[in-house]
Amino acid sequence: MSYTLTEEQQLIQQTAREFAQEYVVPSVAECDKTGVHPGEVVNKMAEYDFLGLYLPGEYGGAEAGYLSYILTVEELAKVSGAVAAILVNHASAAAYAVSRWGSDAQKKSWLTAMAKGDALGGVAGLEPGAAPGAGADRVVAVREGDTYNLTGMKTYVANGGAADVYIVFAVTNPEAGAKGLSAFIVDAKAAGLKVNRLIGKMGLRGCQWAELVFDNVKVPAAGLLGGEGAGAAMLAEIQAVTGVAEGAIVVGIAQAAMEDAAKYGKQRIQFGRPITSFPAIQTMLADMAANIHLTRLAVYHAADLVDKGEKFAVEAAMIRLFAGRIGASALIDVIQIEGGYGYSEEMAASRFYRDVQGAILKNSSADFPEKTIVAEVLA
Amino acid sequence: MNMADKSLTQEQQRLQLLAREFTAKHIIPVAAEYDKSGEFPLFIVEEATKAGLICNAVPVEYGGAGYDSVSQAAIVEEWAYGCAGFATTLGGNGLSCYPLLIAGTDEQKKLYFSRIVAGGLGGFALTEPGAGSDAGAVATTAKLEGDEWVLNGTKCFATSCGYASIMIIFASTNPSLGVKGLSAFIVEKERPGLVVGAVEHKLGIRSSNTVELLLKNVRIPKTYLLGKEGEGMKIAMKTLDMARPMVASQGVGIARRALDEAIKFAKSQLDVNGKPLAANQSVAFKLADMAIQTEAAKQLVRNCLRLKDAGLPYTKEAAMAKTFATDTGMRVAAEAMEIMGAYGYSQDSVVEKLVRDAKIQQIYEGTNQIQRLVISGILLKD
Repeated sequence: MSYTLTEEQQLIQQTAREFAQEYVVPSVAECDKTGVHPGEVVNKMAEYDFLGLYLPGEYGGAEAGYLSYILTVEELAKVSGAVAAILVNHASAAAYAVSRWGSDAQKKSWLTAMAKGDALGGVAGLEPGAAPGAGADRVVAVREGDTYNLTGMKTYVANGGAADVYIVFAVTNPEAGAKGLSAFIVDAKAAGLKVNRLIGKMGLRGCQWAELVFDNVKVPAAGLLGGEGAGAAMLAEIQAVTGVAEGAIVVGIAQAAMEDAAKYGKQRIQFGRPITSFPAIQTMLADMAANIHLTRLAVYHAADLVDKGEKFAVEAAMIRLFAGRIGASALIDVIQIEGGYGYSEEMAASRFYRDVQGAILKNSSADFPEKTIVAEVLA
Repeated sequence: MNMADKSLTQEQQRLQLLAREFTAKHIIPVAAEYDKSGEFPLFIVEEATKAGLICNAVPVEYGGAGYDSVSQAAIVEEWAYGCAGFATTLGGNGLSCYPLLIAGTDEQKKLYFSRIVAGGLGGFALTEPGAGSDAGAVATTAKLEGDEWVLNGTKCFATSCGYASIMIIFASTNPSLGVKGLSAFIVEKERPGLVVGAVEHKLGIRSSNTVELLLKNVRIPKTYLLGKEGEGMKIAMKTLDMARPMVASQGVGIARRALDEAIKFAKSQLDVNGKPLAANQSVAFKLADMAIQTEAAKQLVRNCLRLKDAGLPYTKEAAMAKTFATDTGMRVAAEAMEIMGAYGYSQDSVVEKLVRDAKIQQIYEGTNQIQRLVISGILLKD
């Protein structure tokens, strides 16, 4: 593939850049301080078709391709990792699931609403203390006639408390282990579904995390997504396609932070010269520039595979393995360059540092990108 | 948890356990709350005074504890295990005492240490907006007028100085000489003209007080000059030699805590098959790596301090310990977060705080770039 962007992609990138400056910048400080979902910014993103940017036109999407969407995520992340994460959890996680595995009826009702921005989505996969479906508090779905009855708890649900619809992974066959996991489309207003609490976190504040409690939530059988027992494979694919977008969040944050550090370093005079004239500082900047560039290429390449309908699981796993680390390492160096000033909240670096750490979270118990990669190596 | 390090002497082990109990009782239960509010934990200074842990660096003849350096470091490590912000506050007191040990007269020591022994905080103000790594660029001036020095200038990132009772302030007595014009002074907080400016809000060690200090015609007696005129840089460098292993110990404390949290998580978190995460070799080996680095950092600190306590040169070793141990604190905290995923990133866990706190030790008391300058300078000298 060529990494030269098409005119349309460049236009979308430029639009996202301007959007971020005009509509996201003003909300950043408040959002980081309060951690509250920035509803107005999300509504504005809907107006600009960001929420359905790569989704099919047939269901209200803009059908601009995954790479165009990735470019948008990257531009948003340069300004706000939280806003980018809200979009990714909606579009790459929840809407992707409906688009990929939904029936025509499910798509007509939910995907259309999600693409147009009438319904914000979130995925409820994780459970406290264990891999999805393996813990004491897991959500169990019991079929009773034409409905499933969901009971249990989900945690670290991104867009939790703000979403209008959740893709919930619940156990339909407790004996089958991971093979007993199934996905459901659940209306956030469903009776018995309660936001137990919002969970404070290091950064990406504004992309809310919630603990959800399911107390006999009745889901119509038509809300089952992709068939009973298909949940584990779906979760893995969602993780992969989301991972590509999360890589774009890392790239955006790290790029913006590097530019800040370069700007600061050129003005910071010590020992009679700008600190960027010292090889020790130059080495740090060169390392991060190389890491960011290579990660960006990997992200664009994986997005291109998604667009072409080719396999992308291994490429996505490589991004998930690598990008989080290079993001953290870049920000550790950015603050090092900016010194005491970088460590203070006055400069953006401290927020970038907190945000980048959460862009790609390997949710440990179920999730080793190494497994996916090594399976390919040993094949 | 309650095992002392057997490689320490009996007395060092006793102090290690004393500090560990102190941390468990007074620091760990409130650390998250103070991190959130950014409030200064003045109570901890009182508690540490009561526990006999406040004037660890003050010699016995001045009413202090006069602990050896290995003990002092072991105590700092315990504090940092609980909270690096608290450790910065309590450890900052030690830092502020070092210039007196290096260059103070008997009178000066009495003046300074009497306040510390009574539970007052000490401060150390060297950094300025234009003088960070380049300490020789200090623009604060001190002029002799009759029997008094008159100080003018602005200091920044001054630890605990919003609450300090007495402090060491660096100023130039002869700006035309650059580094060789730098001198060190004792200043009490009540001196007219000494004003606490803006308070820094920080990424981590949020309970530690970091302020700007404004000096407008601050008058102090002629006898408050430490050492001789122009010896400021030498005093500052020797002070930092002494302080660096203590900052290194913060890195060790953070790494130990991160490792303990990661172990706890790996043993309790279940995978898809209902097995603990720790049963996976890739996780278990990562824990082993974290432990190796933490232990190496701790021993590097102790080796350096044994050299110091034996009166041998230790500048290079102090810089090595500071760099390695603070890089280790940062790395191990980040690795704990990687193992712990969403839980580690959430404020339900202390690990996100460790990742924020661990960044500052790579910066203060001389950035790790300055340490490498010191180390390579010594390596390449001959």
